Amino acid sequence: MINIRSTEFKEIPVKIIWAVAFLTVMGLIVLKSISQHHPGGLFQNPFTKQLFFLIPAILVSCVILFIPRYTIHKYSYTFYLIGIFIVLLPFLGTAHAGTYRWLNIGLPFAIQPSEFAKVFTLLALARYLSDHNLEMQKFSSIIIPILLVIIPTTVVLNQPDLGTAIIMMTPVLPMLYWAGARPFYLFLMLAPLFSMLTAFDNFAFTIWVGFLGIIIFLSRPKRMVSLSLFFGNIFLGLFSPFLWNALKPYQQNRILTLLNPEKDPLGAAYQIIQSKTAIGSGGLFGKGWGVGTQTHLKFLPVQESDFILSVMGEELGFISISLVLLVFGFFIVQILKRSYLSKDRFSSLALMGFASIFMTHVFVNTAMTVGLIPVKGLPFPFISAGGSFLISSYIMIGLILKLSVNYSE
Amino acid sequence: MLKAENIVSYKQYLVSIFIIWILVIILIGRFFQIQIMGHDQYSKKANTNRIRKVTSTAPRGLILDRNGQILVDNSPTYVLTAIPGELSHKEKKFDIISDILGLDSLTVSKNYKKYYRGKFLPARIAKDLTFNQLSQLEENKINLGGIYYEQFPERYFPSKVNASHILGYVREIDKPIRSGLDQKNEYEIGDMIGWIGLEKQYESFLKGIRGIYFYEVDAFGREVGQVQELEPQNPEPGKNIVTTLDMEIQYKIEEIMVGKKGVIMVGNPETGAILGAVSAPFFEPDLFTGLMLEKDWEKVLQHPDKPLFNRMIQGLYPPGSIVKMITASNLLTNPEFDPKITQICEGHYQFGDRLFGCWSDLGHGAMDLTAAILNSCDIYFYKNVHLIDLNDLSRSFQSFGFGHPTQIDIPGELIGIVPTMEYMNTRYGRYGWSKGALLNICIGQGELLVTPIQVFNYINLLATRGKAGTPHLVMVDNIPENISTRLDTKHWDRIISDMRNVIIHKNGTGRRANPAILGMDIYGKTGTSENPHGENHAWFIGWAEYGGAKLSIVVLLENSGSGGAVAAPVAQKVFNQIATYNQFTFND
Repeated sequence: MINIRSTEFKEIPVKIIWAVAFLTVMGLIVLKSISQHHPGGLFQNPFTKQLFFLIPAILVSCVILFIPRYTIHKYSYTFYLIGIFIVLLPFLGTAHAGTYRWLNIGLPFAIQPSEFAKVFTLLALARYLSDHNLEMQKFSSIIIPILLVIIPTTVVLNQPDLGTAIIMMTPVLPMLYWAGARPFYLFLMLAPLFSMLTAFDNFAFTIWVGFLGIIIFLSRPKRMVSLSLFFGNIFLGLFSPFLWNALKPYQQNRILTLLNPEKDPLGAAYQIIQSKTAIGSGGLFGKGWGVGTQTHLKFLPVQESDFILSVMGEELGFISISLVLLVFGFFIVQILKRSYLSKDRFSSLALMGFASIFMTHVFVNTAMTVGLIPVKGLPFPFISAGGSFLISSYIMIGLILKLSVNYSE
Repeated sequence: MLKAENIVSYKQYLVSIFIIWILVIILIGRFFQIQIMGHDQYSKKANTNRIRKVTSTAPRGLILDRNGQILVDNSPTYVLTAIPGELSHKEKKFDIISDILGLDSLTVSKNYKKYYRGKFLPARIAKDLTFNQLSQLEENKINLGGIYYEQFPERYFPSKVNASHILGYVREIDKPIRSGLDQKNEYEIGDMIGWIGLEKQYESFLKGIRGIYFYEVDAFGREVGQVQELEPQNPEPGKNIVTTLDMEIQYKIEEIMVGKKGVIMVGNPETGAILGAVSAPFFEPDLFTGLMLEKDWEKVLQHPDKPLFNRMIQGLYPPGSIVKMITASNLLTNPEFDPKITQICEGHYQFGDRLFGCWSDLGHGAMDLTAAILNSCDIYFYKNVHLIDLNDLSRSFQSFGFGHPTQIDIPGELIGIVPTMEYMNTRYGRYGWSKGALLNICIGQGELLVTPIQVFNYINLLATRGKAGTPHLVMVDNIPENISTRLDTKHWDRIISDMRNVIIHKNGTGRRANPAILGMDIYGKTGTSENPHGENHAWFIGWAEYGGAKLSIVVLLENSGSGGAVAAPVAQKVFNQIATYNQFTFND
């Protein structure tokens, strides 16, 4: 039986709870500002909608606290399969604005199954890496974990939802690092990506190939391996222009817009320009709550989710933005600390995974709003509006709190 | 199941924390760059993002005649504009519009490109919409999102006179015109600017100040209200200008000049005020308003009589005998000259190897100065040419205003040519011309070229004994000072009485200018100037004194014959009609 006064609950990391509470409240403050001129209706108003979803979100995270750790470990593969199943479900229905991201089950709001699948995939990965006493020094031992992640990722990529697919993929590298994989292998995993990206510029490609050659030479693998790695990457690079043509125009556009944001001021770049304008005009202290002109005159696109930080930047200024980012950094570091202190490998890996998911969300979302990376449809944890995302974030918080506590069973 | 031990090392933990803080610092640094360092730049951008400046054209000032009759007015027309940011399915909309307006859809899209100023600024796509067209557009409003119409005051000419060369016209500002303007910021593409005549000269009075309204717009360009921080500015109409023209006099002289080529100018010599002036052929003043077709424009441009050409200020003519009073004044100041001594005119005069003829082949017989002027005898002057020095004569011409701008208040005035020694040397070379040239110049031929407005100033100076006002068309206080001509009173007396004889003597060449109205005294001089372009130009210059008022006149009829036969009767007609109209009562 669980005793509220037991040591388990005393060990719950209160700092993490405070950080989450702070970020959630900041999100609500900004959403309230955006919602000023929104028509009524619980689900039309981002603020009330968010408040509404906060109830099940907190409830679910509390429930998780009462689930025994071994149960989480035991059913993680089952949940993984459920995750793959639910991300396939939308394909049975009709397309939602040309995509299969959303699942409509007769509720006044749609559900985004990939948000839950990413949590389940992470748990399955943590279990695989902890159960098998892997010889992580071998390159072959990282193949299965990657396959494990690639299956749901491929489905999500075809919904198509590039943002969530990236979120699903990113925990793999840090978790492999946590599990003791050689950094050289992790580098080799990233190498094809760089080969493809640099292939569009002869100069960059030359530099990259030289760098790749030096790394392979210094790591001294077998001659056949090094030759195949080296030429495999060059071959991939030469092929990527053809792969590029296979991309959807909107994906091509997003990448191109990154390279030259002024090129298409009314397309994706329009969003970046408007976002930077909103943030830049906010200054140190912001224009004040509820009076951001860029926000309220709708110059800012998708302001309640993807570009909510731009609203904060415009109305509350650099001070608030910095505070939010610092609290977030503190929050992630607290999770990492718990992961490092964790006694069992499953908890440690899962905590590392959650930290990477949150950090990727924050980095991709924030870097996008300030024009550092292309526009990706990724929300900011606890602050952006979005029911499925809020609930999945709180599920992760529940799991983080649960797995942070060290006790012997 | 959870037996696997955590194998994360302290080093791995530190690396991960390091990476997290690096990423956070990158992001905060980027915010610092945008929010703190780029604050001013983005603030400016944010303001222009949300504010749409809408301007409304101020009506130009009216142009009135001296009695307050409106010569140039404004009439409200409608222009059709498109706001690019709100315009979707542009081609389809342009098709609908061109159907209704009866225009080529290419014209509409051409205009759209021509007037495009920015995403949220209205671009004019058509103008001069009729009420009928407007209501048809209104019916199609639902298909024409992003298309608006606005009132636009356009020039309108309600009076019966043309006065086109004086009033001038306005022109729409396009990109090249705007880039050539001094005060670029005061004009927008599509605004009107005075281009010729009074419209140009008094642009700063007539223009007015555009109204400016600031609307807050959302990202779709929809207006959501006025901007509180920025005061709207209502348009301020331009100031009216009152001209010295008398509409009735202007109308009468325009009627006289229909079908003729040349100039009539009538004015008050004391003040320099011009009561009526016409350069014929003239054009309808509304030629340049509204939709002007390319072919109409070509027709006007290609017309052999050049109706757009303002002969009053830009036509260069040999003055002929009308300048003989200047030659006479030059001779009178010469102590060796005696006006009583007669010279015999045999109808021709041998000078070196050239034979110069008088206009009368038979010769005028014995001539003194008075007779030479009233008969307009050339031989008399030829025979006195040894008393004349070219530079001295040219100074005399200049003292009567030739070779200088008259400072008339319409732009584009030419100054003509008053030949001097230097001029002749430059033009023909030091030995390329002989004193024979002086024979031509002293009777107003040869290199001497004058504009009718200079001639008008000249006759005014004669009528006022050298103290005429500067010729002007608008009643303003700060009229520039005119030149004054200094002559001895006895010389003025002689010249003026000679000019009187031109009219009243039975042989006077100007006798046909006399309307024979009791109490009206006419003074004048005719001229018949030879020119290389055909038939002689006929001149008559003079003034009438009637009831204490003076009225000066210049008549020039191109290629029409002799001044006495053709120009003098026209002057008579003018004097007659003005006397009938208002008995020479001018409220100056």
